[in-house]
Amino acid sequence: MSGKFSNKRQKWSLENVKSNRVVTEALASPPAYSNSFVTSSNEVSKKTDVSRLITKKSWDLALAPLKQVPMNLFISYMAGNSISIFPIMMVGMLLMRPVQAIWATKSTFKMMETSNAILQMIVYIFGNLVNIGVALYKCHSMGLLPTHASDWLAFVEPPVRIEYLGGGIIHH
Amino acid sequence: MANFRSIYKIQVFLTILIHLTVALYEDQVGKFDWKRSFVGKVKFVSFEAKRIIVATEENVLATLNLNNGDIQWRQILEDPSNYQLELLHVNKDILTVSGVRNNWLVRTWNINTGTLLAEWVINAERTVPSAFTIINGKILHLVPITGSHLEITTYSFIDHENGVLKGVTRIVSAPWLTNISNCVFAGLHYVCVGSNQLHFINLDQENSKFITKPLDTFIESEAGKIILIEYKHKTPSFLMLSNNIAKLASIVDENIVIKPFDLMPNAVNVVGNGKDLIYQLEANDNKEKLIRIKVKDFQTGADEFSVDLDYPLGLGAPIILGAQNRGSSSDLLLSTTDNALLLVRLPEAKILWSREEALSNIVATEFFELPISELDASIEHEFDNENDIFGMFSHRISTQINQFYNLVFGNKLLQNSGLVRDEFGLHKIIVVATRAGKLFALDTLSGSIAWSYRLPNIQPFLGLNGQEQMLLYVQRTAQFAPLPAHCILLAQDTITGNGILFEFDPITGYSDKGIQKLPYRISQATLLLQHDKNFLKPLLVLSQDNELYAYPRDAVSVIKDHFSTIFLYTANSETAILTGFTLKYSTENQMVVKKSWDIDLKPSKIVALGVKPQNEQVHSQGKVLYDRSVYYKYVNPNLLAVATISPDPMHHNVLSIYLIDGVTGLVVYGTSHKRAKGPVHLVHSENWLVYSYFNERFRRTELAALELYEGHLQSNSTAFSSFAVSQLPHIQSQSYILPLVPLKMAVTLTERGITNKFLLVAMSSGAVLEIPWLLLQPRFENMPCGPEESCIPYMPEIPMHPEAIINYNQTLGRIRGIEVAPARLESTSHILVHGLDIFYTRVAPSKTFDVLKEDFDHKLIVLVLSALIIATFVTKKLAARKALKQAWK
Repeated sequence: MSGKFSNKRQKWSLENVKSNRVVTEALASPPAYSNSFVTSSNEVSKKTDVSRLITKKSWDLALAPLKQVPMNLFISYMAGNSISIFPIMMVGMLLMRPVQAIWATKSTFKMMETSNAILQMIVYIFGNLVNIGVALYKCHSMGLLPTHASDWLAFVEPPVRIEYLGGGIIHH
Repeated sequence: MANFRSIYKIQVFLTILIHLTVALYEDQVGKFDWKRSFVGKVKFVSFEAKRIIVATEENVLATLNLNNGDIQWRQILEDPSNYQLELLHVNKDILTVSGVRNNWLVRTWNINTGTLLAEWVINAERTVPSAFTIINGKILHLVPITGSHLEITTYSFIDHENGVLKGVTRIVSAPWLTNISNCVFAGLHYVCVGSNQLHFINLDQENSKFITKPLDTFIESEAGKIILIEYKHKTPSFLMLSNNIAKLASIVDENIVIKPFDLMPNAVNVVGNGKDLIYQLEANDNKEKLIRIKVKDFQTGADEFSVDLDYPLGLGAPIILGAQNRGSSSDLLLSTTDNALLLVRLPEAKILWSREEALSNIVATEFFELPISELDASIEHEFDNENDIFGMFSHRISTQINQFYNLVFGNKLLQNSGLVRDEFGLHKIIVVATRAGKLFALDTLSGSIAWSYRLPNIQPFLGLNGQEQMLLYVQRTAQFAPLPAHCILLAQDTITGNGILFEFDPITGYSDKGIQKLPYRISQATLLLQHDKNFLKPLLVLSQDNELYAYPRDAVSVIKDHFSTIFLYTANSETAILTGFTLKYSTENQMVVKKSWDIDLKPSKIVALGVKPQNEQVHSQGKVLYDRSVYYKYVNPNLLAVATISPDPMHHNVLSIYLIDGVTGLVVYGTSHKRAKGPVHLVHSENWLVYSYFNERFRRTELAALELYEGHLQSNSTAFSSFAVSQLPHIQSQSYILPLVPLKMAVTLTERGITNKFLLVAMSSGAVLEIPWLLLQPRFENMPCGPEESCIPYMPEIPMHPEAIINYNQTLGRIRGIEVAPARLESTSHILVHGLDIFYTRVAPSKTFDVLKEDFDHKLIVLVLSALIIATFVTKKLAARKALKQAWK
C-alpha cells in the first residue's frame, strides 16, 4: 500500500532547477510534471527488496538467541552461586525461556510469511539449546543438578543382613 | 587472627546449635512428661503427728504425708550397695546413723524441711555387723565379738573433735555370742538368744552384766529355733518366735515374764486412750477380704475387736511396720513382700493410700504399642466372612456410620477404654519388671499403673559389674489385630537359681500359663527375627551347660532353614572370655550349639559391652563430604564393642576398647587409653561408638567417639555378610572433655533412623543431658568444617547448656537406666529414665518436623480460606452485573 502511495507522489515532483528544454519543446509541461518517470522497473526491484528484507529479518530472529548468550553468561556470572530467591528465579528464567522459545518456534517463524526458513529455524533452535546449556551449566555450578553420588544417597537401600547374632553377658 | 578465628568458630557453633537444642517452654512443663518419686523398701518408720518418717533400704530418708502418702521431703544418702541406714531415732529432730563397715555417719535432720542440721563421724575399730541404739541422748554402739564378748561404746554428742565423736568402750563378757541377728533391743535392755539360753543386759546401768536364763523354763518347744523380734513397749518387751507362733515376753526386775497368749510375728503395740493394745494381721478365710486385723489387750490377750481388711489382690503378704493412735482412729502402716506401702485407717479398715515402692528398682523395661481401637478392628474384619455380600455391605455401612459419629461427636471408645493406639504412636504401654519380682505396666500419657502382676520367689540375674537385670522380650506386638501381644520375662528362681519363664499379654497383664519353672540355669537368651504362623518370634534360651531351648517349643520348624545363619555369643565377665557359637550343626530334631571362636581377654576385666539396638534402622548409608562425594558407612549389625580394664605397672590402669565381629570373632579395631579407669559407658549405634572413662592423668571424665567407614566405594550394596571381609573399615576418632560425671548413657532411636541422633547422658547430679551426635562426630582431617558441611568445629570441652537438660529442674535420684523406644512419628522417641524416680518424656532431636505446631491455627486458616472463596464468587457476580450495565449504556 505504501508503494502505490509513493508512486502517486513521485508523479508530482517539483523540479527546482530551471530547465533549458523549455525552448525545444512545443508545449511546456506543467510545473512539477515529469514525463520521464518509468514505473515498470521499479516494481520489480521492490519485490526483491521485500524478500531480502524478510530473509534478513528472519536471520535476525534466528540469531537472536545466540546473541543473547554473552548477555546470559554475564547475568549468570553476576548472580553468583548462592542459593537464594533471586538467583533461583534467574536460573528459572534462563532455563524456561529457551524451552518456551523452542516450543514456539513454528509460530515465531509463521510471522515471516516464508515457508522455506528451515535453516533459520535450525539456527534458532540451536541458539536456544546453547542458552539451555548455559542455564544448565549455571545450575551445575550452583549445585542444583544431581550429578554426584551423594545426590542419590537418600535412595540407597540399606543392605540386607545375612547373618543373625544374639547373645550377651552370661547371667549368673 | 587467632582471636578472630575463635570468634568465627563460636559464631558458627552458635548458629548451628540454635537449631539443635530443643528446649522446653514453660507452658509445656508436664504436658507430655511425668515423674514419679519413690523411697524404696522401708526399713525404719516413725509416726510423727501428720507425717510418717521413713528410712529405707535404698538409703533414703523421707517423710510421707499421712493422709495421701505424698513425699514431703526426701534426702538421698550414700549409695545403698555400700552404705546402709542402721538407726532412725526421732525426738525433736531426726537422728540417723548410716555407714559402711566401721565408718559411720551420725546426722540430725530438721523434721519439717529435711535440712541437715549436724553431722558427726564415728570411726569404729571392728568391721563386723553391729547394732546402734540411743539411750538417754547417747548413742550406744554394740559390737559382738564372736565367742568372746560384746563391746559397748557410748558416744555423747558433746565429746567430739572436728566432728569425730569419741566414745567410751566397755567390754561385757559373752562367750556364747555368735551372731548379732540373734539379738534385739527391748527398751533399755539388749536381749540375745543363745543355745537354749536367753541372755539380757540392762544397757542403762554402768557395769551391768548379761543375765542368763534357761529357755526351756518358759518355752516348751526345744525343737524349733527361737527367733527374737523387737516389740516396742514401755516395759522392756520382745517377741519370741518358734514354729511361727510368737510369745510376748517382758523383762520385769531381772526376770522374764511370758504372757500366756499366742501372737503373730508381726504384732505391734499401740497406746490408745491410755491403754496398751496389740495389733496384728491374720489370714482370713473370706475370699473377698483376705486379711483380718486383730486387736488384743496387752495384759490379758483378750480380743478387743477385729476387722476385715478389703485387701487389694495382687499385693504380697503384709506386715505391720508401725502404728499410731490418734484418739478415735488409729493408723497402721503396712509393708508387703512386694515392697508396697499401705496406710490403713482403723476402725473402718479403709486403705487410705498405697505406694508401689517396688518401682524404685527397675530391672527390665520394654515399650509396647497399643492395639487398635475396636472400631478400626471391625473395619479390618470386614472380609472375614467373604461369602455374604449383604452382611459385608451392612457391616461396612454400620462401621462407617460409627466412624462418622465419632468424627462429629468425638471418639467415645478412646475416652472409655483409654488403652487404644493413637495416630502417632505416642501413647504406649511401658512394661517394667522390678527387683522385687513385680511386673508393672505404665501408661506413657499419665504415668498411671495400668496393671501389675506379682511373681513370687523370683530374682534378677547378676550381669556386668553386679548390675541386676531381668530379660524381657517381645514375641509378638499388638499389630496382629485379633491375636494379642505376647511377651516373655526371664528371671531366676530365688531358691534354686534355675530359670523362670513367664509369658503374658503386655496390654492386659493376663497370663494363661503363669510362672513356668525351667529345669536349668539361664546363661543367655535371644529373640529371632523370623516368626511362625502365629506371628510369634521364637526365643532361644541358652542354658549354662550350653544347651539351647526354643520357645514356643515348635518354633524349631520355623528356624530350621536358618540354622546356618544364626549365631550366638556370650561374654563371661568372670573369666573375661568371649565365645561365639554357631547353630550350623543343628538338625530339626536337635539344636546343637558349637563353639566357633573365642577370645581370651585375661588378665583384663570386661567392664562394658556395647551392642547396637536390635530394632535400629540406618537410613543414610554414607556421609556426604565437602566435595559432594560419598563416604560409605561401615554398618555391621553384628559388631560388638567390648571395654576392658587391665592393671599395668607403668600406667596404673589401661582401658582397652575392642570392636569384634560377633559372627566371625574378627577383631575389627582395638584401641587403648593409658591411666584410664572406669566406670566405662558404651553407646553403640549405626556406624559409631561413644564411650566415656575417667582420665587419671588429668583427673577428668573424657568422652571418645569412633566412627567406622567403608570408604568411597561400597563393597556390597545389597547384602551385608560378616564373612565377606574385603578390607577393614577406616576408623575416625576424636575425644572430648565431659564436664560431668556420667551414670548412664543412651542414644535416641527413631522409627526409620532419618532423624538426627542425640546422646542422652544421665549425670550424677540427677539431670539427663542431651548431646547432639553432630557435636561428637569425629571431624575429617584436611577437610573444611562449617555450617555448609553441617559440621561444628571441634571444641575439646562439650558445652553443658541448661536447655539441653531434658528433665529441666526435676532432679532424678540415683539414675540406674535410660530406656529409649521409637514412636511411630519419625521425629520422636520415648525416653524413660529410671532409678529412685521414674521420669518419662519424649524427645525430638530434629524438632517435630513431621507434625504441625501445637499453636497452628486450623480454625483461622479454614475461616480465611472459606471467606476468600465466598468473596471470589460474590465479586464474580458483581463484576458480571457491572459489565452488563455498562453494555446497555
